[in-house]
Amino acid sequence: MAPRPKLSGIQRQALALYRGFLRAARLKSPEERQMIESVVSAEFRENARSVDRRNFVYIEYLIRRGKRQLDQLKNPDITGLSTLRINKASSIP
Amino acid sequence: MAAAALLRRSPAARVLLSPALSSRLVASKPHSSSPAPPPPPSSTTTTKTFSIYRWDPDSPSTKPHLKDYKIDVADCGPMVLDALIKIKNEQDPSLTFRRSCREGICGSCAMNIDGDNGLACLTKINADDKASTISPLPHMFVVKDLVVDMTNFYNQYKSVEPWLKRKDPQSPDKKEILQSKAERAKLDGMYECILCACCSTSCPSYWWNPEEYLGPAALLHANRWIQDSRDQYTKERLDSINDEFKLYRCHTIKNCTHACPKGLNPAKQIDTIKKLQLGA
Repeated sequence: MAPRPKLSGIQRQALALYRGFLRAARLKSPEERQMIESVVSAEFRENARSVDRRNFVYIEYLIRRGKRQLDQLKNPDITGLSTLRINKASSIP
Repeated sequence: MAAAALLRRSPAARVLLSPALSSRLVASKPHSSSPAPPPPPSSTTTTKTFSIYRWDPDSPSTKPHLKDYKIDVADCGPMVLDALIKIKNEQDPSLTFRRSCREGICGSCAMNIDGDNGLACLTKINADDKASTISPLPHMFVVKDLVVDMTNFYNQYKSVEPWLKRKDPQSPDKKEILQSKAERAKLDGMYECILCACCSTSCPSYWWNPEEYLGPAALLHANRWIQDSRDQYTKERLDSINDEFKLYRCHTIKNCTHACPKGLNPAKQIDTIKKLQLGA
């Protein structure tokens, strides 16, 4: 095995959150599981690419938001999730 | 417009403004022969500057900052919430804040105004010339602009089990559990709490230990159920909060009583709990 890089606390939190989502996805139906896994992995990969690794305020905000969403997903009454894309037509000056 | 302005401003404030107005106009006219310089704009239009904390999670690279907004207070309601709504309507629709009842009963608009926690719908706009600083509740995670994450606060309230717990089985004819007037009077000063979080977020002890210390609001509610004569789990309630961190992080700083917008006294209720712990 290649020597593993020493992960910082915040990196471990993000990976733990990702693992939590995958584990929650396992408990849903197979089609939903695939949907959840694709949405979650797409979001995590996009944020890993675009967010500056030193921007701790924003990363902590994303982790908190993710934890809240994970708590909602863990609820057995929730059957799945869906996403929609908002096109930001204009930005407020 | 002048008539509307008269209706909105209180008579006292109007009286305060006019002597200052006239004295400033007189002083600015140096010589009777030379033309009078135009009066300074601030004395005729009652403008007030608000420095409002802004942070947008959708543009993560911008750091949180204070943004200034000037509004004409003569054309605005007397409360800070009126000013915020006016700014949102006319100047910056992206300003985000929680609000609901506009009468101080829901607790949604709790924020820090000029250093003191309070409800925006109950805090009058300070009439002086200094800029007013509006920021979110201190030491809470910010979701956007003035909106904070209250989940920890609500979880602490839930952990206190704020419902009636009885050991006796319910009477077969489902009669009310009777309570005398004196017993009901013991709950005054606790049942009025609207869970606005002004007290807990003003407590330095809560700032340094938000996860472990329950905070004045949750402890006030714990006492509300401990004092309720109909509740039969008093000993269990006292034992569950008899903890070094849950209860005894309180060092009687008394910021909570100062901050409460409903005039409640959480410090007194925490004191009552501590005294009961000695006896139990």
